[in-house]
Amino acid sequence: MYSVLKSEKGGVFAVRSLLKRLLTENMVDAVFVAAKTPYSDLPMPTLISSPENIETADPLAPVAPFNASRQASILLRSDTGKRLALVLRPCEIRALIELVKLKQCVLDPAILIGIECKGRMENALFLEQEKQRSGISISFYQDDNLKEMICSACNVCDHFQPVGTDLTLSVFGVQISTGIGVEAESETGTDILKKMGYSDVQPPAEREAELRDLQQQRLEAKSVLMEKTAEDIKDIKRFETLIANCLNCSNCRVACPVCYCKECVFVTDVFAHEPELLIRRAVKRGMIKMPTETTMFHLTRLAHIGHACVACGHCTSVCPSGIPVADFFITVGSKVQDLFDYEPGRDINEPIPYLVFEEENQ
Amino acid sequence: MNDQFEPQIIALVCNWCTYTAADLAGTSRLSYPSNVRLVRLMCTGMIDAKYIIKAFLDGADGVVIGGCHPGDCHYINGNLKATKRIYGVGKIMEQFGFEPDRLRLKWIGASEGLEFQKNMAEFIETIKQLGPSPVKSRMIL
Amino acid sequence: MKRDQINIGVYICHCGMNISPKVDVEAVAEFAEGLAHVRIARDYKFMCSSPGQEFIIDDIRQYGLNRIVVASCSPRMHEATFRNACETAGINRHYFQMANIREQAAWVTLDTKEATAKAMDLVAAAVARVTYHRPLESREVKVNKSILVIGGGIAGMQAAISSGNAGYQVYLIEREPSIGGHMAKFDKTFPTLDCAACIMTPKMVEVGQHESIRLFTYSEVVSVEGFVGNYSVRILKKPRFIDESKCNGCGICMEKCPIKKIPSEFNENLSFRTAIYSPFPQAVPNTPVIDPDHCRILAENKPCGACEKFCEAGAIDFNQQPEHMDITVGSIIIATGFKAFDPEPLVQYGYGIYPEVYTSLEFERLNNATGPTGGSILMKGGDFPKRVAIIHCVGSRDAQYREYCSRVCCMYSMKFAHLVREKTGAEVWEFYIDVRSPGKLYEEFYNRVQKEGVHMIRGRVAEVTDILDDPENSEDKGRLTVVAENTLTRRMLRIPVDMVILSVGLEPAEGAGDVGRMIGVSSDGNGWFTELHAKLAPVSTVIKGVFLAGCCQGPKDIPDTVAQAMGASGEAVALLSKGTVMTRAEISFIDPDLCAGCQTCVEVCVYNAIDFDEGRGIATVNELLCQGCGSCAVACPSSAASIKHFTNRQVMEELEAILI
Repeated sequence: MYSVLKSEKGGVFAVRSLLKRLLTENMVDAVFVAAKTPYSDLPMPTLISSPENIETADPLAPVAPFNASRQASILLRSDTGKRLALVLRPCEIRALIELVKLKQCVLDPAILIGIECKGRMENALFLEQEKQRSGISISFYQDDNLKEMICSACNVCDHFQPVGTDLTLSVFGVQISTGIGVEAESETGTDILKKMGYSDVQPPAEREAELRDLQQQRLEAKSVLMEKTAEDIKDIKRFETLIANCLNCSNCRVACPVCYCKECVFVTDVFAHEPELLIRRAVKRGMIKMPTETTMFHLTRLAHIGHACVACGHCTSVCPSGIPVADFFITVGSKVQDLFDYEPGRDINEPIPYLVFEEENQ
Repeated sequence: MNDQFEPQIIALVCNWCTYTAADLAGTSRLSYPSNVRLVRLMCTGMIDAKYIIKAFLDGADGVVIGGCHPGDCHYINGNLKATKRIYGVGKIMEQFGFEPDRLRLKWIGASEGLEFQKNMAEFIETIKQLGPSPVKSRMIL
Repeated sequence: MKRDQINIGVYICHCGMNISPKVDVEAVAEFAEGLAHVRIARDYKFMCSSPGQEFIIDDIRQYGLNRIVVASCSPRMHEATFRNACETAGINRHYFQMANIREQAAWVTLDTKEATAKAMDLVAAAVARVTYHRPLESREVKVNKSILVIGGGIAGMQAAISSGNAGYQVYLIEREPSIGGHMAKFDKTFPTLDCAACIMTPKMVEVGQHESIRLFTYSEVVSVEGFVGNYSVRILKKPRFIDESKCNGCGICMEKCPIKKIPSEFNENLSFRTAIYSPFPQAVPNTPVIDPDHCRILAENKPCGACEKFCEAGAIDFNQQPEHMDITVGSIIIATGFKAFDPEPLVQYGYGIYPEVYTSLEFERLNNATGPTGGSILMKGGDFPKRVAIIHCVGSRDAQYREYCSRVCCMYSMKFAHLVREKTGAEVWEFYIDVRSPGKLYEEFYNRVQKEGVHMIRGRVAEVTDILDDPENSEDKGRLTVVAENTLTRRMLRIPVDMVILSVGLEPAEGAGDVGRMIGVSSDGNGWFTELHAKLAPVSTVIKGVFLAGCCQGPKDIPDTVAQAMGASGEAVALLSKGTVMTRAEISFIDPDLCAGCQTCVEVCVYNAIDFDEGRGIATVNELLCQGCGSCAVACPSSAASIKHFTNRQVMEELEAILI
């Protein structure tokens, strides 16, 4: 079922009124959505229970300070009996689904509201742009210059349509200044729209063409990026040049939505080297860089979660040394995903590849 | 090809089949080039991706993993679990310039001393053809 | 903070002349002395000898050593020896590591320098590893003093009797309606020509009446869980549709059953049985079963009930349902036996095409007093054969089918030849590749049969055909021709015969693989169960407490089967009589502080050894079920799960020592 939520103030207002009705009509107990706090223009994931506070919600702003799935998974750690609506981007939903598979959370209490996502800007760039012109949540969807400013991972993302949602907020083929489309993807979603009195209409005619064009554009960009990255890492020397400025700060690991370990193996005693060992290495090799294990860290992380990488790009965003971590995760991750015919976040019932074994395996 | 090149080979082998096959090769005095160093594990299913990555990063020119034939695993299906992981790691290492041939998975049963000898000799030859690991030429990091 | 003082002692063994000339043991000892934490390094002629072990014990005491490395043979050989020495000297038995410089260096390396260099690497790896060893303990667990025997052929029966005689409770499971297995089908046994029934039926009765044996016939094992000393076994009792407690075995039901034309499995389909049937007259238990696929009431829901009407005991019960029984045993003996090779794919031998081509099992029934002909060797038309061919190695010693020798076929073929000669006076040709008669009185039997006038022809039969050389010869009318080369005289032979017997080989029993998988016992490429050690542990398996008896481990004749069954029983009894077993030390450990509760480990564990503690949100290991395979440790991304004695740290330090 497809409906149009109209608002002369623009799509964001239409979304807010939908979320507000969810609260006022007691369909949910709280809404989890990106919203501006009084202290900053940067929308942060917030949990809103009072309908008035919905006015701060800004889920269409082209920014995401981090992948909100981790915060969402904390809220969904167990079924509390309270109903929650969660407004999330496609990469956040895909990560959330991976976390469900890893039993880090449950979806029973959740009404998933996905956003069709045209990309996000890096935080600093967004704040700068927001300062220059307010109302970026609308202008982003109209001004092609702004679209050029999305981060590199988003630029190659072909998962801009969320899957596995109850409701999807649709920006394609829609004049965002006049409202937003909403598509019910599940029975729950259809019930909500019907209860609210929305009628089923034809999606705008331009929608399909717009989706197709973007898909093509993104796939092209993705293959360019993957080719370039493959070249940048094609031997270990080149790769080590690429990550030469890595500080072993683990920001990428902290930002990664699917790195769910309580404590990373790289901070356990497995890698707590004895001085004798480090000195021996230095003696044998002439010199060693410290801290050691930089290459090991990135390769091991690829081995651990390459299959589950949702290409959200937050690892690159948080790297203080500007290392394009996401680029090689996207490139290598997609090879692993192809190998196992696995797509993270595609289907909650798709088993994690390492947990199914064929009886005959060449 | 460098005639002087003597590769360093790590063999991660399961206790029940391939380690036993290596013992049998010994008992039967089946000689093979001395480049292989065996690391004994209880099952190929306990081979962590980190072991393979570490072996390569520390300069192994080849890594061979030896376990029980499918269906013969002492732990029912540890070898099958290993297969998938090892393919995954192999795929990753390949992207970073480690040729797929440097990582080999081979089922060698406990009674196959001759197979063990043959496979080791053949793997060493393959690695000699490939030349030294790309790691060897890098700056030490 | 100061680390605990680590003092490693390294011992390089000469192994007499096995290691020392090839590996420069002194150089290796000197090298070892320079490794981190090594306090002392020595070489000695025989480390495994008493003085060698004393050396270690004295050094531990004198120098305060707390880690020991012995570079000698395979840990599969002497790890336990040296661990015991460590324990004797007062350090934990897991503070020990072995470097295998005999099998992996001295014995397989041609060049002395290379062998020495390899030995040094292996010692360095062992030293690096032992530095990170942790003390481990195992504990004693009580065992359940009962034994499960799977399979009621001669192997299972003997294992049950021997174990029962030792006073242990035995559960004997047989899937057929009666125990007896293949041996019950035989008439005579080679080489003594004992009457099989005469030696078999008393054993069957003994099993049936033994106070320590609980017999479950027409039953199958459906699941086995647990570990040595404590296996939980679920048995499916198929419905007989007869109340065993009421049936007195009078047999009137079988007489009255109107469905009489069902091929008799026991008679190899050479005669018929009724829908309510007992496979053979001496069956134990003597309670028939109703075949639900053929009974009028059960299969077709048509009125009948003849059996019910005539059963004075009122034992017929058409409403019987499958029943599950749960038992706990301490040990399991597998005796699932064999099945005869099906010769149909070998079309050149004409089985299934020509009525007078028989398999050996069919011939056994033809020759048996309780068989379809009452023991007369008759052709389908009712005449005695005048000329009989016996073809050896059908399906065996054949790269296309079974490469192995089935061990019993030569002997039973000669038994057949003797019986044919004796009972019919027919001429007999035996076509063999090699005659294999290694056994007490076996060669003598071979000689006897030859003296009895049996033609022994060395050559594999090319074809059995109904095309006669001389169709005009009225004597050969209706005969088959066996085409073969006599490889000794290099002459092609075409021999017209009345009857052909195919001496088919042995294959693992149907469903043996399922039993193996259920219990965790592996099989070889042919499907025979793999013993723990071909020579030194022939009845044990890799699963502690599970033993093998009879043909399930490989083809065997009756004396070997009985001996092995007694052996398996002895091992099971030895295990249980102590009353306790030790738990494994090298098992999984899940660090509760690191566990994220993703339960990936629970999913990968094939032993159901990991439980999820909902309350704490973490996974926990059942130390009795865990076999230490390490699947969980690898699957756990945060290294919360690890295998004691095979931790990431230990393995990676070993790798590092080899490579850097």
